[in-house]
Amino acid sequence: MAADSQRSLLEHRLVIVTGKGGTGKTTVSATLALAAARAGLRVLVAEMGPDEQIPRLLDPRAPQAGYAGCTLLPGLRAIRIDPFEALAEYLTLQLGVRAVVDAVVHNKAFRQLMTAAPGWRELITLGKIWHLAQLDIGDPPRPEFDLIVVDAPATGHGVAFLDVPRVVVSAVRAGPLHAHSERVEQLLEDPEQTLVLPVALAEELPAREIAELTDRVRNEMGISIDRVIVNAVVEAPFPAEVSDLDEALGRLDGDLDLGALPSPRVLTRCARYLRSRHELNRRFAVEIQHTTGLPIVELPRIAEGIQSPDQISSLASALLANPVFLE
Amino acid sequence: MKPNTNIDAMLAEREVIVCVGCGGAGKTTVAAALALEAARRGRKALVLTIDPARRLADAMGVESLGNRPQAIPREVLDELGVPEAGNLSAMMLDMKRTFDDLVERFAESEEVRDRVFANSIYQHVSNALAGSVEYSAMEKVFEMHQSAAFDLIVVDTPPAQHALDFLEAPQRLLEFLDSRLVKMLIHPAFKAGRFGFRLFHRATQKVLHVLERITGIGFLEDLSEFLIAFDAMSVGFRDRALRVRALLLGPRSTFVLVSGPGRISAGHATDFLDHLEAYGVSLAGVLVNRVRVWPSQGPPPTDEPPRSADVEALRDALWASEGAGYPAELAAEAAAKAATRYAEWVRADARSAQPLRERVEAQGCFWGCIPEFERDVHDLSSLGRVADRIAGQDEEP
Repeated sequence: MAADSQRSLLEHRLVIVTGKGGTGKTTVSATLALAAARAGLRVLVAEMGPDEQIPRLLDPRAPQAGYAGCTLLPGLRAIRIDPFEALAEYLTLQLGVRAVVDAVVHNKAFRQLMTAAPGWRELITLGKIWHLAQLDIGDPPRPEFDLIVVDAPATGHGVAFLDVPRVVVSAVRAGPLHAHSERVEQLLEDPEQTLVLPVALAEELPAREIAELTDRVRNEMGISIDRVIVNAVVEAPFPAEVSDLDEALGRLDGDLDLGALPSPRVLTRCARYLRSRHELNRRFAVEIQHTTGLPIVELPRIAEGIQSPDQISSLASALLANPVFLE
Repeated sequence: MKPNTNIDAMLAEREVIVCVGCGGAGKTTVAAALALEAARRGRKALVLTIDPARRLADAMGVESLGNRPQAIPREVLDELGVPEAGNLSAMMLDMKRTFDDLVERFAESEEVRDRVFANSIYQHVSNALAGSVEYSAMEKVFEMHQSAAFDLIVVDTPPAQHALDFLEAPQRLLEFLDSRLVKMLIHPAFKAGRFGFRLFHRATQKVLHVLERITGIGFLEDLSEFLIAFDAMSVGFRDRALRVRALLLGPRSTFVLVSGPGRISAGHATDFLDHLEAYGVSLAGVLVNRVRVWPSQGPPPTDEPPRSADVEALRDALWASEGAGYPAELAAEAAAKAATRYAEWVRADARSAQPLRERVEAQGCFWGCIPEFERDVHDLSSLGRVADRIAGQDEEP
């Protein structure tokens, strides 16, 4: 059953890909950016962590994108948002004088303060994303980027960073910081523009955690979320006619000599493993759908992880498929 | 070169085991399994987790873990093979409460304490203050170690952007309190309002003006008050932080790096190892979680396509066993394919871990693999299976 009133992932201005470490969030971000660029959109994909991964996933010879960004393909740019650089840019925009800003951001005391200070990295990073979403080019002006894909940081706090503008709006009473945070909050809470895209593995604990995450994003933060990406799903291992193959193998003499083939005992174990992982993935994909109340998009498991841009390509159509309710 | 460590010695002798590694590797499960195995060997073990996602509570089959150790009931321990001498407790940190505890402990008076609690900045940032989660966790380890109620504490560290946040956090908090700018903000003259800026050095004036312009003076006043209150606590905090650090880096403690299978995880684990080495941390060994292993002696077969004669032999065996109506040809091909596919995964896991393994073993640390089970580890009996595997590592060929 297809979910009703689904907009395509490509019909948003800002897609924020979130998930725990190890769920394949970065792969999903890269895949979405590539698919959007192929569909003719002007796309920016933004990373936040200290290590840059997306450019090399899409092109092994890609240079480091850094804060200035680099063009990976026609219509596809990548950037890594470093909070200190974003802060320098913000202060320059506010104060107008780069020399003053440089004196401040290179001030040792200021850096010490900022290294320990909470929240501002998230705020300035989201502010930079807001700024990128406002950029126009050409005449008549059109947005420089049709779609901005954000690979959100993987932390135990999940989506807490999306909450920072709201906290600042309530903690800082007035002034530019208050006003700017409010604008960022408005962009995040605009369902026409912003979508949070959660990525989860179809396993027991992630299935529970993703329900907490989607509930928080939707109900506490008021940010739109309309599907869950269930990643690394082991596909059905045998043809439907022999779906209980492991059982049939288990009834053979376990030590039968099959030449270069493993013995039936080993074949049974291999078949049982594949089947049980597949069934486990199916069961928890269904559970994710039940606990979140959201339709699912499944992505297949890739044995050794993403090794080449071709594998990213092969995931693109699966990622853009309409989300479905499995049962 | 340090002496060869093995899991048995670690579980028998150490008082603190810190499990580190990237998010998603299964640190929580491994930490819980190590504590269980130590309990089986007669120790009084505590596993302490920090992950706000309540994973340990799940893995331990305990509904909720408060900010206090919770003993696993004796009858459950009996089932898990924990002898009378041993026991196992679990604990999950409640971040907010832990930080409040710190303030309670180090505040010099009730007045200071109440001022901190009432401050609007504290209310918003106590969870987010850089490293406070990490610091609180290590502080708790120290407290539990001091209490002598346990003879082994296994800690599961929070997922962090920087590998050793939990070790560096106290230092950073102290540097923050010591920084010139903070000293300025806690200068009593600051409370006099913006004219107070004139008292400061020119560079600092500039910084304060910039901050004020962006945030508004009200925010700076709140911040100043928060820092004044916090500064009053810093002597106790500093002393404690040094002792926490001495415990974690000293001979009573050791570190276990937990990694997931696959190339990307191995890469992350290698980076992690670099950080640990640079920091001079004593690593006991590496446990790779959820590794696919070949289900018989020897390595998995090579990826040559199966010989048709062999597939036919399997087909005939299936016919003989399942009857003439069974699609044995299809089944035999699917079985051969499944074995090839699984073997490919097994080889991929071994291949991607090899460079890390060589490095770890060359340093005299242990290397252990925990196979991926058919079911996820979510209760105590499956945790027991993980513990079995960890315990049996040294017997592996």
